[in-house]
Amino acid sequence: MLRYVAKRLLLLVPVLIGLSILVFAYVRALPGGPAIALLGERATQESVEAINRELGLDQPIFVQYLRYAGNLIQGDFGSSVLSRRPVVEELLDRFPATVELGFAAILFAVLAGVPLGFIAAKRYQGVLDNASLVASLIGISFPVFFLALIMKYIFAVRLGWLPSIGRLDITRSLEHPTNFYLLDAVIVGDWAAFVDVVKHLLMPAIALGTIPLAIIARITRAATLDVLSEDYVRTARAKGLTTAVIDRRHILKNSLLPVVTVIGLQTGLLLTGAILTETVFAWPGVGTWMLNAINNRDYAVLQGGIVFFAFLVVVVNLLVDVSYAFLNPRIRYQ
Amino acid sequence: MPLLEVRDLQVRFSTRGKTVYAVNGISFDLDPGDTLGIVGESGCGKSVSSLAMLGILPKPAGRVHGGQVVFDGEDLLTLPDERLRHIRGNDIAMVFQDPMTSLNPVLTVSRQLTEALRTHLDLGKKEAAAEAASLLDRVGIPDARQRLRDYPHQFSGGMRQRVGITMAIACRPKVLIADEPTTALDVTIQAQILELLRTLVREEGMALILVTHDLGVVAGICERTHVMYAGRFVETAPTGELFANPRHPYTVGLLKSVPRLDAARKQRLDPIGGAPRDQTSEPTACAFAPRCAYASTESWEQLPVLRELDGATGPAAHRVACWNPVPEQDLVAAGIRQAPTGRQTGDQPDEERQA
Amino acid sequence: MSIAEAEAAQLSVEQPSGLWSDAWRRVRRNPAAWVGAGLLLFFVICAVFAPLLAPYGPQETVGSLAAVPPGPTAEYPFGLDEQGRDVLSRVIYGARLSLLVGLVSVAIGLSLGLVLGAVSGYFGGRVDGVIMRFMDLMLSIPGFLLAIGLVTLLGRGLFQIMFAIGITTVPIFARLLRGSILAQREADYVLAARSVGTPGFRLLTVHILPNSIAPVIVQATLAMATAIIDVAGLSFLGLGPNDPSLPEWGKFLAENAARLQNSAHLVFFPGFAVVFSVLAFNLLGDALREAIDPKLRA
Repeated sequence: MLRYVAKRLLLLVPVLIGLSILVFAYVRALPGGPAIALLGERATQESVEAINRELGLDQPIFVQYLRYAGNLIQGDFGSSVLSRRPVVEELLDRFPATVELGFAAILFAVLAGVPLGFIAAKRYQGVLDNASLVASLIGISFPVFFLALIMKYIFAVRLGWLPSIGRLDITRSLEHPTNFYLLDAVIVGDWAAFVDVVKHLLMPAIALGTIPLAIIARITRAATLDVLSEDYVRTARAKGLTTAVIDRRHILKNSLLPVVTVIGLQTGLLLTGAILTETVFAWPGVGTWMLNAINNRDYAVLQGGIVFFAFLVVVVNLLVDVSYAFLNPRIRYQ
Repeated sequence: MPLLEVRDLQVRFSTRGKTVYAVNGISFDLDPGDTLGIVGESGCGKSVSSLAMLGILPKPAGRVHGGQVVFDGEDLLTLPDERLRHIRGNDIAMVFQDPMTSLNPVLTVSRQLTEALRTHLDLGKKEAAAEAASLLDRVGIPDARQRLRDYPHQFSGGMRQRVGITMAIACRPKVLIADEPTTALDVTIQAQILELLRTLVREEGMALILVTHDLGVVAGICERTHVMYAGRFVETAPTGELFANPRHPYTVGLLKSVPRLDAARKQRLDPIGGAPRDQTSEPTACAFAPRCAYASTESWEQLPVLRELDGATGPAAHRVACWNPVPEQDLVAAGIRQAPTGRQTGDQPDEERQA
Repeated sequence: MSIAEAEAAQLSVEQPSGLWSDAWRRVRRNPAAWVGAGLLLFFVICAVFAPLLAPYGPQETVGSLAAVPPGPTAEYPFGLDEQGRDVLSRVIYGARLSLLVGLVSVAIGLSLGLVLGAVSGYFGGRVDGVIMRFMDLMLSIPGFLLAIGLVTLLGRGLFQIMFAIGITTVPIFARLLRGSILAQREADYVLAARSVGTPGFRLLTVHILPNSIAPVIVQATLAMATAIIDVAGLSFLGLGPNDPSLPEWGKFLAENAARLQNSAHLVFFPGFAVVFSVLAFNLLGDALREAIDPKLRA
């Protein structure tokens, strides 16, 4: 198992190198070149020359790249033009909001999607099965921002049940040791704040989780249908096991394998969905941060955001592969 | 009263408005310690019959249309599912064809072995594990205790089938149904697995139903053999009698299509022509007629039922469902049977081989 | 498949028929395909005949400027916007842009992807390695983020946007075709063709490509759905087509998101237009996939 993880980590190296080259090329290609890209268009002639010297743009291209890569490894993404703060510092402020939102969304998608898909498969071609198929197709046809707006209209504007923007009521103060607000509230022991955080999280997470929910339900259904006709399920029946044991131990455990893979594939979708969801709910995460950067041509921030997102996708997929191996002994013992 | 009494079992499949008449009324008795073979081509309904007896037909397509399966005085077909569940794997257990696919790939062998023990015998975790180890040892898996922790893919095909058999005999069932237990295995392994089944049945006093397409498999184990075609038994006899004196043209065809050590050397293998019956309607005539050289008008019009031959009854009874049983001289011509003394068809060397 | 099912399947005699006619039969039997095709036809008609169908022009002012524009009435079934324009007309005209973006961007992605996939699968070796590693790299960047990045780089012209969205689909098509070629290279009929000396290029175009096309069609249909959602998403973020005269559902929706409280119709009508056009492609793609490979019910 350890060897498998080590192997996977090693395979990451070329991907990360490739990514850094891509982003390097991208930032250089942005209108105005890297100096403008890093300083913004309002930079003065002197500062452009200064940064050009500092970046060593007179040197051969691979030297430039190595230097840039070295900076990335050290976590030096430059500074934001707008706030003048180092990009890394801002990223550390922002990313817990996005990760908290994404985690809540995928949790919702899995907790609702897996049982739904499983029950649909067990009632193959029944009313519930067909209804869930239609519902999931409609679900994946909703642009996430539109769904978010509809929910906001119903639950915030019309019913007034849930707050429509932000992570926490502005009148409430909460210490932020981690910037994961749920965690913060637990650490501080402020249960009223915890409830408030959950209320703020509910709509964005459901809006963001709906498409993954639909996809996970469909995959679970298909996988369960496959497993249901497997010989080993018949063997389990012939043993006289209870339906509950057969469902849980023999069917679900096998049909979850493809679901785990799909959760990994959803990460990218989830993160880009987060950009849109954060916009609708004024969520102070990486998505809104990047969007501001694009609108303000704050390219250092944009670069930081892209690297962060790509990194997150890569890491989640690594975790997914490892947990897949954990669930599937045929991979584990290779 | 027999241990298991099957009466007129009928199973049908319906998908997309089409109905397949898979099993069309089979009956047999099984006493403790009996060994019974059911032989037929794939698609004849032999596997379906065994699934139906255990109430594990694939749903919703397959359903029992009629008949009785009486075990211990209860009709399994009408038993509530919860009661039937206590009999499955406990009193009547099953070994399946493909050990590659009939074991769950994500569970350890220990888990799959102990779950039946814990469900039916109420054993604790440790007791069940100890029992599982001794069972594995019993079926000839070396290092049993170690191997319990392994997953199915870590076993070879033959070893996997031993695991499959262990799972079936774990609760010391009274009836063991083995559905093509050797078909997916190498020839050398086949013999070992059959030997294992033979030993287990003898030592445990289990009754065995061996379902196979291979006459060679029943030859060594089963006292009695039923030949099945298109969802019905067409011939049933003590195995030795069936091999020596087959009377149904289909049985004769089956025998002619497998190599025999005791046949004349130049005897050609002779496959049965034509295709099995398309079973989308209920049989009203002899289902074998389209492929049969002996078919008569009667065969095409009326359904033959099993009838006793030669007056033998009880365990020795030989029954055939045929309007025109194969005459003796044809059996001789086919090399299945020696000419009775007095007639001058057999030659000297053949008689020597027989002796 | 269990033994019993296999037996049952063997017992029922299936009529032999070709892959395509078989698939076509299954599509026709699937009500989802009919609904999808109907919806798509509806949107195509809206797009093509917009000037005939729309009661007003997309930029035409028919009411007065209003901070809180009137909602649906008998005269204006979808209501008016804050500039006094007819929402129904703008939504009808919007179909043009969305379908165009879907079609063109997928065409771009499809052609680039197929070329790369064919080259990769056909030549194999180092060429394959380089192309496929690059595709993997592209896939590690979330598609919509890639589109955002490219639009930032290339600018917000209509073609640039379609190109950016198209690029995100390239790796999908490339991998699909390459996988299919690799699988078929060893197939008996290709070996047979090779053994009688069929030249390589002919092998690819005559024997391999036609047999790979079915999954590509499915994927293209589904990619159109994604493209429509993506262009709406870009517009929503303010990265959509910069030509203000182009009526675009996402942009319309974005401009009016702030008016949600009092003029929800300005958000809902363009929003549902996006939903239903995407649904049309998803229904069709799903039905096609099921028809081509009934086992893939995912």
